[in-house]
Amino acid sequence: MGEADHHSKAAYNYPRFDEHVATGGDMADEDAFRASPWAGQRAPDFTLPRLGGGTGVRLSDLWRSKPLVMEFGSFT
Amino acid sequence: MFIYTREAHPGENVPHHGRFDRKLACAGLLAEEAGISRDILVDDLDGTVHRAYGLMPNMTWVIGRGGRVAYKANWTSAANVEAFLGRFLAGQAENPPGTMPVMYETQQAEFRYADRKRFMQHLMRNGPRAVAEFEKAQQLWAQRAAT
Repeated sequence: MGEADHHSKAAYNYPRFDEHVATGGDMADEDAFRASPWAGQRAPDFTLPRLGGGTGVRLSDLWRSKPLVMEFGSFT
Repeated sequence: MFIYTREAHPGENVPHHGRFDRKLACAGLLAEEAGISRDILVDDLDGTVHRAYGLMPNMTWVIGRGGRVAYKANWTSAANVEAFLGRFLAGQAENPPGTMPVMYETQQAEFRYADRKRFMQHLMRNGPRAVAEFEKAQQLWAQRAAT
């Protein structure tokens, strides 16, 4: 994994946060946010599994009739 | 709705995800420990959704009815989201007599006040290595700022 490789599955699931920062991964993350859709643009649509089972959830089904608040996160 | 991503600060107890079933298990554990009652959706191992929305560890997005981005913040402030939602919903609901709603966009720098003690407890929950690596990252940020 080279220093500029922030796109592979292994780089995405980095095992060490300090190495992620040392290789500029945190700055690449900030760039990715700046490059993401702006207010007024169409939101990317995906289908994701819901924790606890059941069928996949399509985001566009959730924002079809009312606004959708999406928070992204992990343990920290 | 909450989307579970990669672990921002992997450690001995909650390591980085190598398999989807482990990622699902971590999401379940987080829901239990953090008492998240909202629906939790789990992103794939590649981080497909996380990448599309910008890879920051604790973002909040509001998508308007019909699918256009109404709000995006690279960190989550519940107070800020609630204040925005109040204005956004009010703007859609009605306008004062003699006026017409005109949508416009803003970009603002905001402050949030993170509880450092609580954050360090969360790092320790993931494992002592997560604490040490965050401290090392702080040194790297200081070096970056000095150059």
